[in-house]
Amino acid sequence: MKHIYCIAIASAVIGLAANSATRAELNEGAHAYIIWPNDGAVIPSGKFWLRMGLAGAGIAPAGIDRPNTGHHHVVVDSDLPPAGEPIPNDKKHLHFGAGQTEARIELPPGRHTIQLVLGDADHVPQNPPIISKKITVIVPR
Amino acid sequence: MPATGWLTSIAIGAAVSLSLLTGAHAQVKEAAAPAATRATRTPAPAEAYVYIGWPNDGEVLRMRRFKVWFGTRNFGVAPAGVTKANTGHHHLLIDTTLPPLDEPIPNDKNHLHFGAGQTETYIELPPGTHTLQLIMGDADHVPHDPPLVSKKITVRVQ
Repeated sequence: MKHIYCIAIASAVIGLAANSATRAELNEGAHAYIIWPNDGAVIPSGKFWLRMGLAGAGIAPAGIDRPNTGHHHVVVDSDLPPAGEPIPNDKKHLHFGAGQTEARIELPPGRHTIQLVLGDADHVPQNPPIISKKITVIVPR
Repeated sequence: MPATGWLTSIAIGAAVSLSLLTGAHAQVKEAAAPAATRATRTPAPAEAYVYIGWPNDGEVLRMRRFKVWFGTRNFGVAPAGVTKANTGHHHLLIDTTLPPLDEPIPNDKNHLHFGAGQTETYIELPPGTHTLQLIMGDADHVPHDPPLVSKKITVRVQ
């Protein structure tokens, strides 16, 4: 089923498929998730430790090419970056290429979204991408 | 599940021959350097620490098979064999005390290695009281200096 899906994608987007065909794959069932905070959490100070979870795969720092590993990227207040390309490196896309699984985050008052996407040795999402649920946190004024 | 396979291979390794522990260790170490006692250990920053995120200390577990997640702060995770500053990989100690700090962490059913960079696992324990503790190992499975050791927690499996 997964293969049929991949073939469908490949047929539909030849250019992208040619690119993503070279991307690292993780074991089936591998998934990323945000351990903390919970979706909808209200964080009075706006400062918190984000805890990044990865099941069924391992962490390796950026630049380390090992089977079934990747490193975390945190997407803040943004949609997912394009597949098949290195994840941007800016204030909405935080890289944790040193193999971190926790990050100190500070957000201004308001509603914010947070999502994880795993990247390979070259910061490119795996194929298929390993992404967490997009959660919302609220920092009161 | 790779973690299950890993545990299985460790269990088999331990069962096949405890006297050949070094051999079993080398098998899991992949391409890492041969196990040997070293004069110097890999440094770790003072602010780095590891902890068991789940289960909680004193937790009563209704299932024999449960998840353990490994918390790491101010430090990174890298697979065994990867030499990179401020990184290491997790080892879960079950019902045992800390191993010697100047040599590779043993590889048996009381010392589970997570050399693929895993940050959580599932383990299965018989009913009763058990202790769990994490210790980081460097590329060669040797604890850092100072060692990155979690609090030793106790759980009860019903």
